[in-house]
Amino acid sequence: MCEQVIICEDSMEGILSGVYEAYRIKKEKGIESHAFIHLVTRHPDMYRLFTEYTAQETNPENADKVAGTIKARLGSECCYQLCLAMASCFEDKADAGYHTIVLGLRTNDRRILDRLGEECVQSAFRCARASSNELCHMMEFTRFRELEGGILYAEINAKHHILPFLMPHFADRLPAENFVIYDKAADIYGLHPGMKPWYLAQGVEPDSDRLKSTDSEKEYSALFQSFCRSVAIESRMNLRLQASLLPLRFRPDMTEWKGSGAAGTDL
Amino acid sequence: MKFLMSARLNKRMRASRVKITLLVFYRIGKFALYDKNEKMFDKRLEIRTNVCYYKKKHNFRFGKKGYAMERNSGNQAQSCAVDSNQANVELYSPEKKSVMDKLIILTDAAKYDVACTSSGVDRKGSGRDMGNCIAAGICHSFSSDGRCISLLKILMSNECVYDCKYCINRRSNDMPRATFTPDEICELTINFYRRNYIEGLFLSSGIINNPAYTMELIYRTLYKLRNVYRFRGYVHVKGIPGADAELIRRTGYLADRMSVNLELPTAEGLEKLAPNKHRKTILKPMRQIQNGITQGKQELALYKNAPSFVPAGQSTQMIIGATPESDYQIMSVAESLYDKFDLKRVFYSAYVGVNEDKALPAIGEASPLLREHRLYQADWLLRYYRFRVDELLSEKHQNFNILLDPKCDWALRHLEQFPVEINRAEYAMLLRVPGIGVKSAQRICKARRSSRLDFDSLKKIGVVLKRALYFITCSGKMMYNTKIEEDYITRNLLAEHERLPFDKDGVTYHQMSLFDDTPENTMLFGTHGERNTAYV
Repeated sequence: MCEQVIICEDSMEGILSGVYEAYRIKKEKGIESHAFIHLVTRHPDMYRLFTEYTAQETNPENADKVAGTIKARLGSECCYQLCLAMASCFEDKADAGYHTIVLGLRTNDRRILDRLGEECVQSAFRCARASSNELCHMMEFTRFRELEGGILYAEINAKHHILPFLMPHFADRLPAENFVIYDKAADIYGLHPGMKPWYLAQGVEPDSDRLKSTDSEKEYSALFQSFCRSVAIESRMNLRLQASLLPLRFRPDMTEWKGSGAAGTDL
Repeated sequence: MKFLMSARLNKRMRASRVKITLLVFYRIGKFALYDKNEKMFDKRLEIRTNVCYYKKKHNFRFGKKGYAMERNSGNQAQSCAVDSNQANVELYSPEKKSVMDKLIILTDAAKYDVACTSSGVDRKGSGRDMGNCIAAGICHSFSSDGRCISLLKILMSNECVYDCKYCINRRSNDMPRATFTPDEICELTINFYRRNYIEGLFLSSGIINNPAYTMELIYRTLYKLRNVYRFRGYVHVKGIPGADAELIRRTGYLADRMSVNLELPTAEGLEKLAPNKHRKTILKPMRQIQNGITQGKQELALYKNAPSFVPAGQSTQMIIGATPESDYQIMSVAESLYDKFDLKRVFYSAYVGVNEDKALPAIGEASPLLREHRLYQADWLLRYYRFRVDELLSEKHQNFNILLDPKCDWALRHLEQFPVEINRAEYAMLLRVPGIGVKSAQRICKARRSSRLDFDSLKKIGVVLKRALYFITCSGKMMYNTKIEEDYITRNLLAEHERLPFDKDGVTYHQMSLFDDTPENTMLFGTHGERNTAYV
């Protein structure tokens, strides 16, 4: 039997429509088991023999159908975790997500992600854990600055594509604010107009003139920088612990590490 | 000698606590102050001895002869010429201090308070006002001492009428004082919060005039923050012992967490080091908050929209190492606080020497960080791992093992209960295995419902196998051929080198020794003194 590999787009929607496609070809070609079908998010470096590769276009309608089925049969918590897994940057995320969905639907188990003895669930769990850790980091370390016109603007550099999960957090927290979060790694903007629902935008080129900070912004960032400096106890200085809790990769986008008054530089 | 004043000193300022002793002068004695026109301003200026603070952080400037001048009075003060007979000095009254000056002074004064968590309450946004809370809490940054910055931790004021020996803000300390106005605090909180710098406000205060007055100021600030600035984020306030019960009750409805500091584990210690504080007055508001929380929960069950009283619970903190209590005593106090006062957290604060006093450890002495770490580990065992203090320590065994964490230590003393079969053991027993945490134990319990677990899946679940392997079996087999023998396991566990949150970076756990290579010893014994330092 020829193994089937479906190459789908590297996005939640892409993978979900890949899952739809996998179910379809299984039925159409009469493939015995889902074990013979695999999902990947990019073309492999080395193609294998006796394997059929198909590239799959993203189809939002099909993705919605799959997401609806998962929500209805496995519960919304399970769906959220699977989506987190699909937002991670691991290569096996599509396949792990797909086989976990298959296993969940077959056993009708709403706690499918607790079955950590299964290999596909283990991988999906690892992916979901990595993105949810990144999400936590971003909730902590995202820093807004006020632009002229009162818009809050933040830049993040996330390893996993967690912006869609991050936006609801800030939308709930700052409902009346106009804010924008720009994920530099994925080149996506998350926009939230005050008192309105948030949305994502891709391929926008903002005017650099419009990204000017206000004067009060400088004042508050200076205040926060000196706050961070004063709150440290000199005799307990521990830069290694600080670096393990606040990894260096987040620091370029954080207010307290910008400019001359960076926290920890002159202590 | 005369000092030229470029700023006018008003009457109010002379009356206030602004210390002219912040400036540094040649001599101790009485001096006269002159204003710009060389008119005598005040002839009763007294220069005291304790005027030289040296802290690198504040950028004190030193003159030729080592006379220091404090910076935080502004630029003009910095240009003070300390080595001549004349000095251009600008003095600021408290009203004139900028928000930046106040923030620096009052953060500096609040930093020794440990509690900086934003956990314990889940509150969704209202869809209109700013702020929400997440039960797990969010740390927004980490300061250079590795502690988390979650809340805007400030004092309302560092003026204090008390004279607690260990406290940096005690009355007898000569230091810059400042007081925030409620509006300044609200503005700072709101503006920090919307930039996602912080998770909320931590407000404490020195005692201004009396406890009731101080508590009222705190209450007013909180009222403004919640009702005028419509802030829904996390707020942690200190209950001031001795304040009116009604004020504490009202504040409790505005705050998420309240804490009353126990300060020292025993009443004797408190009497010795904090003569103005009494065990009874500390426990009274604690009991009141506890009763308020219980009552509030019942009201919430009856009426859905009843305002909640201190929803994130109350906490307290104890200073460790300033008085000679043993770990057993400290943990017993903590346990009874959890049992009898329903506390959410007890914080332990390794004593940092800031004041010189014969009743206190010397200033240069290292803070007992390892001890503090062990106490926190044991605290976690009490709260999440279902341990009791009597199991960890006893009258005979008063202090924690410095080489092993309390859980490993317990397991090694109770080897008869091991090995534990992962696929069958109860949750409570899984929690007691070194290397298995709460999350891993929960995952194991869930995962083993559908399939048998092996060591490989345990690793993926997150179990620290290098520690757990001596204590567990999977399907009746141990991971390697190991002996269940105390010496053997201890040796292997020690070889793993426990990862402590401190060392190498300057903060080490020293055992005092004659041959430690301190500068004094180097001078006494030369540079080749035998190194006999125990790094743990």
